[in-house]
Amino acid sequence: MTVTGQEIADYVERVRTALADLPPAVRDELTEDLAEHLTEVAAETDGTLVDRLGTPEAYAAELRAAAGADGAGGQASVDRRFAAARARISAGLRGLDTRLGPLLGYAMASEFLRPLRPAWWLVRGWLAALLISAALGEPSGLLPRLSGSVLAGLFLLAGTVLASIWLGRHSVGIRGWPRRLLRLGTAALLLFAFAALLNVDQHARSDDFGPYSGVSVGNPYDSIEDVFVYDEEGRLVRNARLFDQNGVPIRLGYPTCVDSGQYPPRNVYPYCPDRAPFAPRPAAPPPTASPASPAPTESPAPTGGPTASTTPTATPPPGGSESADPGPVPTR
Amino acid sequence: MQRVDTTQLLKGVLDLAVLAVLKDEDGYGYDILRRLREAGLEEVGDASVYGTLRRLFAAGLLTAYVVPSESGPHRKYYALNAAGRDQLTRSGKTWRSFATTMDALLDDRGMAA
Repeated sequence: MTVTGQEIADYVERVRTALADLPPAVRDELTEDLAEHLTEVAAETDGTLVDRLGTPEAYAAELRAAAGADGAGGQASVDRRFAAARARISAGLRGLDTRLGPLLGYAMASEFLRPLRPAWWLVRGWLAALLISAALGEPSGLLPRLSGSVLAGLFLLAGTVLASIWLGRHSVGIRGWPRRLLRLGTAALLLFAFAALLNVDQHARSDDFGPYSGVSVGNPYDSIEDVFVYDEEGRLVRNARLFDQNGVPIRLGYPTCVDSGQYPPRNVYPYCPDRAPFAPRPAAPPPTASPASPAPTESPAPTGGPTASTTPTATPPPGGSESADPGPVPTR
Repeated sequence: MQRVDTTQLLKGVLDLAVLAVLKDEDGYGYDILRRLREAGLEEVGDASVYGTLRRLFAAGLLTAYVVPSESGPHRKYYALNAAGRDQLTRSGKTWRSFATTMDALLDDRGMAA
């Protein structure tokens, strides 16, 4: 006797699997003495059970037919309805296939799509690498990363792409639950691809607004509190107003030296004349000239006046700029 | 083709054959299979016999009882009940009549038995 108990158990299991669509009670009844039967068969003949009885699936089909168990139970009819629905869907897809084909210049759309399958394998491998990278908590991007290293990520990418191509070339023969697993994986990858695409798209769009967002982030005028204007003689201009080319007042800074309780007029510079960085330097000793302002000694002439006097000597008249009070009239 | 033909014929008469081999003596699955083979139905499939037994039992033509075996698992024995005997009688008559008709048909055309 060459048949082992394990072989009998396997045979029984495969018969039961082939009858899995039957109600459990019916299936149990059909297979209750199968093991005993197989034991007697094994004791009586040489060779394997399959040699003697055919495959477990064929045995199950014969058992099912002889017992008239095909129509028994509601489960089978559900299966039949499911199969009918699937047949309808695949017929519809075939019709779509034939109708879409001419639009692409082929007899059938699938003829156009079939040569593209290796391209899909490549994309699938790339998506798998991205998914692995994302699952490991790496920063998202268009290249996979492994512990922050792009090189390791490229190795991962090569591996997944090769695996995907291998799978593509061998997936034709896959049946049963591995095929279902493959489909599930494909669905998950497509879902991930959609999410990744949205993510990338968002990044691309925010790049479009880069110059604008830069205003709020890196504005060089953010640190400006006050504006000091010097005339060509190096004198501080008081109550100066700034306008752009359109006549729109330029607003910079904010008064930080309000002490008398009254605000200086808006957009009239400087707010705090006492804090002028370059003090006029008369003949008198510097410390007394402007105690409030630290006058840098090596500072060049402010505002690049044409006369290029390195040391402003004239003190601006206190009300000197009052004449400028009306301000320039906007040209438009 | 020969085998297919016999298998086709068996499908129609396996119920009757199983009822017949249980007429005088109860039997369990493999036992019944052996009786059918010994009677000359070599082509009968194991699964067909087991399936047929289940169907006849479900149709109320057989009773079943379990006999503890001295060696190995318990065996499920099948026995004809009244409905089974009745069915055997009627099916037997139908078969005989059918077989006679077929024999006559073939005899008329000079075919050897």
